[in-house]
Amino acid sequence: MSIVPKETVEVIAQSIGITNLLPEAALMLAPDVEYRVREIMQEAIKCMRHSKRTTLTASDVDGALNLRNVEPIYGFASGAPFRFRKAIGHRDLFYTDDREVDFKEVIEAPLPKAPLDTEIVCHWLAIEGVQPAIPENAPLEVIRAPAENKPHEQKDGPLIDIRLPVKHVLSRELQLYFQKIAELAMSKSNSALFKEALVSLASDSGLHPLVPYFTNFIADEVSRGLNDFQLLFNLMHTVRSLLQNPHIHIEPYLHQLMPSVVTCLVSRKLGNRFADNHWELRDFTANLVAMICKRYGTVYITLQSRLTKTLINALLDPKKALTQHYGAIQGLAALGHNVVRLLIVPNLEPYLRLLEPELDDEKQKNQTKSYEAWRVYGALLRATGLCIHDRLKIFPPLPSPSPSFLHKGKGKIINTEPQKRKLSVDSSENRSPQKRLTTKDGPDGVQSQDHTGAALMEVDNPVENDKQPQNSAQPSSSEQTSDANESESRNGMVKESGRGRAITMKAILDQIWKDDLDSGRLLVKLHELYGDKILPFIPSTEMSVFL
Amino acid sequence: MDPEQINEFVVGYLKKKGFSSAAKDLEDFHHHNNGSSLSSIDYHNDPELTKLIRSFSQQEDDPTRYRECYSKLRSWAYNSLDLYKHELLRVMYPVFIHCYMDLVGKGHTQEARGFFNSFRKDHEMVHLRDLQKLEGVLAPSHLEEMEFARSLRKSKVNIKICQYSYDLLLQYLHRTESTLMLGIINEHINFQVYSGQPTSSSDDIEAVTIVGSFQDTANHINQKEIQWGLLEDSLEDRLEKTGGLLSDSEKGQGESKDGDADDSKKRPTDIGKQGSSIKKLKKDKAGNATAKVARLETSTVPPTPRVKPELALPVMSTDVEQTILEDLRNRVQLSSVAMPSVSFYTFVNTHNGLNCASISHDGSLVAGGFSDSSIKVWDMAKIGQTGSGALQGENDTNDPTIGPNGRRNYTLLLGHSGPVYSATFSPPGDFVLSSSADTTIRLWSTQLNANLVCYKGHNYPVWDVQFSPFGHYFASCSHDRTARIWSMDRIQPLRIMAGHLSDVDCVQWHPNCNYIATGSSDKTVRLWDVQTGECVRIFIGHRSMVLSLAMSPDGRYMASGDEDGTIMMWDLSTARCITPLMGHNSCVWSLAYSGEGSLLASGSADCTVKLWDVTSSTKSTKAEEKNVNSNRLRSLRTFPTKSTPVHALRFSRRNLLFAAGAISKPAS
Repeated sequence: MSIVPKETVEVIAQSIGITNLLPEAALMLAPDVEYRVREIMQEAIKCMRHSKRTTLTASDVDGALNLRNVEPIYGFASGAPFRFRKAIGHRDLFYTDDREVDFKEVIEAPLPKAPLDTEIVCHWLAIEGVQPAIPENAPLEVIRAPAENKPHEQKDGPLIDIRLPVKHVLSRELQLYFQKIAELAMSKSNSALFKEALVSLASDSGLHPLVPYFTNFIADEVSRGLNDFQLLFNLMHTVRSLLQNPHIHIEPYLHQLMPSVVTCLVSRKLGNRFADNHWELRDFTANLVAMICKRYGTVYITLQSRLTKTLINALLDPKKALTQHYGAIQGLAALGHNVVRLLIVPNLEPYLRLLEPELDDEKQKNQTKSYEAWRVYGALLRATGLCIHDRLKIFPPLPSPSPSFLHKGKGKIINTEPQKRKLSVDSSENRSPQKRLTTKDGPDGVQSQDHTGAALMEVDNPVENDKQPQNSAQPSSSEQTSDANESESRNGMVKESGRGRAITMKAILDQIWKDDLDSGRLLVKLHELYGDKILPFIPSTEMSVFL
Repeated sequence: MDPEQINEFVVGYLKKKGFSSAAKDLEDFHHHNNGSSLSSIDYHNDPELTKLIRSFSQQEDDPTRYRECYSKLRSWAYNSLDLYKHELLRVMYPVFIHCYMDLVGKGHTQEARGFFNSFRKDHEMVHLRDLQKLEGVLAPSHLEEMEFARSLRKSKVNIKICQYSYDLLLQYLHRTESTLMLGIINEHINFQVYSGQPTSSSDDIEAVTIVGSFQDTANHINQKEIQWGLLEDSLEDRLEKTGGLLSDSEKGQGESKDGDADDSKKRPTDIGKQGSSIKKLKKDKAGNATAKVARLETSTVPPTPRVKPELALPVMSTDVEQTILEDLRNRVQLSSVAMPSVSFYTFVNTHNGLNCASISHDGSLVAGGFSDSSIKVWDMAKIGQTGSGALQGENDTNDPTIGPNGRRNYTLLLGHSGPVYSATFSPPGDFVLSSSADTTIRLWSTQLNANLVCYKGHNYPVWDVQFSPFGHYFASCSHDRTARIWSMDRIQPLRIMAGHLSDVDCVQWHPNCNYIATGSSDKTVRLWDVQTGECVRIFIGHRSMVLSLAMSPDGRYMASGDEDGTIMMWDLSTARCITPLMGHNSCVWSLAYSGEGSLLASGSADCTVKLWDVTSSTKSTKAEEKNVNSNRLRSLRTFPTKSTPVHALRFSRRNLLFAAGAISKPAS
């Protein structure tokens, strides 16, 4: 009948030492308790309103008790809300979680920082009725046409909602800001000022009115300045900053922005000078694309599918330049391992066949072309390698303590390796790409000489190559053990740990082959295609099992 | 009807009434004379009698009957004709609460609670606060104790109802024999039946507020005459005259048109009287402005009605006068197309302790009242001078309370012994008044930075205090349900205004100083005559506690804001609500009219400042415009703040809008 059950009254009576309270008395008291509590709360709410608050605090209740000439309840500060715990075994019994505090701890604890003193900050909430877009003000809502009802002039015609183009007035400050940023982006320098500008773009509120101008600007400049590498790079940085800004809703403008971004990824030619490192730009843009997909993929469902379609078309078109292929590969790789597995891997074999002549020094005399081909090859290798690495990582029973990072490091080395080669062009002569591709014999030139791990690998290569056909053909456990030992010898780091584990691995092995034949096959396939170069991507323990 | 049934009824009735032995005897008797006729009355053929007997035989105070009867009435009302439905539904609420209180009064607590919960949804939308109050009533003693319930029980509710609806209702009640409902309706509802069509459902604001007994008195009180005109010889007045010379006349003329258009018939006589009284006044206030009065005599009849002050007003120094005149001359003209600039003072690091904020008339001083009993006054002009560099340096020092030059950048006023609920600046900004939960009001000097006087008189926390527009006098209001008028030089109140049924939460002076308005938790606003201390107007219509008040500069209108976010604009002379302004969704803490009265600004706990177009609404009530869009008071702009509830608003004399609030961390 009352929201205060009589059990509560009984419990409270017990707690203050009244043991002989009749149940009838408790039953009579309960409604009165509820009434008094409501009365106090009504007064407390008044106190809260006069303190210009909308949340009730303990001090309001104290104030209300004061109004009723009741001693306030001491010991309840208006700090954090109380945590009520459910009493175990009771349905409706709660108690406050009152932690015991050790005096010693309190005394020994360093003094807390003095709270900051009250200050007044002054700003313009509005200037002649217009809210300036400054950080002190709440961020502007997305600009939309005011929903004004049109006067019913054309009543005879069908009801058409005509929206007049809305004229937005851009404040002088914003105009200046836009001009300045545009100038900096066009200045083609990588100055500190431009960096500051990028930070400002990425963090300032109130820039939203400029977004359409920026998208326009970027689209224009990208289409006009494809030969200007530094400009493109600056523009892409600008795009990234805009994307990073939490106060900007860029979704409505993505469709305008995407073509420019994709252009910077898969264009045939970016920059006109040989020294322009357009590879770097493509890498940067690939990450940018991935970022966009990750953030707006949920809003624009077709975004990723359209993007991947564009990229895979660029990749599979043999007429397209190698640079375009490179961009496409990087873009796809940045979209994640699943994309790589589903789109690149199936096309890997024909593509590599296509690439083969380009890689061959004898056939391809053009140094630049050859270099580009190696670049593409490296990108492919990295993409698929990371993909397989990711696949293999998910096996639960294989504890891999350190090697994964080691191999990642190697992956990078391989990736950056063509660049090094560029510096010493003549060193590429002693390499035989074809051999590497088919993994025949002889020391491999892929690994850079200064890396110890790579040196070890060179030594082991012949042995591995011998085993390779067997391994892929029929993986029997005994062979695998030996293989594992051999592969460990390749890799100094894993040696001690791996050997001991090798036996137990055998047991797990069968399961893995059963569990994920797919990954196994994938690995085998990749190994066929790439040869050894895929190995650094494989976590050592797994490799020890698979080989 | 066969005799056995009748016997059953009779036995049941006897048993219920406690005549168990008689019932038993009767039963025995029946056993002996099986089937024989008992009585000579021919009740077999009298349907009226059988009905009567049947109704008696049902248990009269059976608590379930309330529910049955009420739900029947309810479904009937909901199924009635659309045209009359809202009138009939209006009856449901008083019936509902009285059914509930009847049940409680008879001790059927359990059933009362059940009844309440099953039907409260119907009335929650309109009567939520009342229901929350009533919900706690669970024992007969509570009914006696609670003032709200007592006043409901004692008084009758007035309901306007058209003839046809009334007939429908009576017919229904008679037809269904629901004597219980009929009893409640007869006992507690006073129907004001009128002929003709039922009124539309929208304009029944009065009908939804149950105000207890004082509906009649309110009507009576609102008949009284009030003189809402501005003070003769006020600065605005003078400016209008001098303004004509300074080619600033369009404002004066615009105002005059406005004033004349709506003048009621009694005004010209008043003005005539004033004209004759000017000479007397000249003697009274010889020191003040002889030259001005002389000019007044030569000028034509003043545009808005002028009244003479009933209080002896303080004499203003010429310096102050000059600056005010200068400000008025430079005032920006605001309208729906010319918006004001808003300067926002944000309190930071208040640790949830800021109870009130106040801004001086020129916006240079800001005072904050805190829950730790302190008052802090900032001189914004000084802060502006030292610049942000000084502020920056201050933050870097180890002790943040003391600045680099060894002092805080605000003045700390300590003296109260309870949370400070209100602070107000005197018009020139030389004094601050503060009211506190310690039941006192204190006067502080901003020049000496010291407490000058402590005014004791209220018995409970003083919720609000306001200086009069000319200084010297001030009004306060308190939890003790009174509002009081004080002057600075006396520690006893000059007037005590009693009449509100609950806390008086806010107070505001009329621009001519002859009236004060008070807003209360009893959901009404009252206007009091300062000279006589009488209540001259009651404004009924709010649905929750009134938190803020503002008077239009021409003295004709008043705006009041409540806890739900509704703002109501009232015509003082008719005590009618011009239009409710919906838009805020939380407490309206503050209201302010612009200098010439064309805009109303409201600040709310929903972290917005809204501007409303006042002129459009007042026009539309006069000549009902055809344009549907603009006949409501228009919300012109909404300025959202960055999670800062707006505590205070003030239009400076030059029509710059100042707003203040404490930034609150968004709920995580």
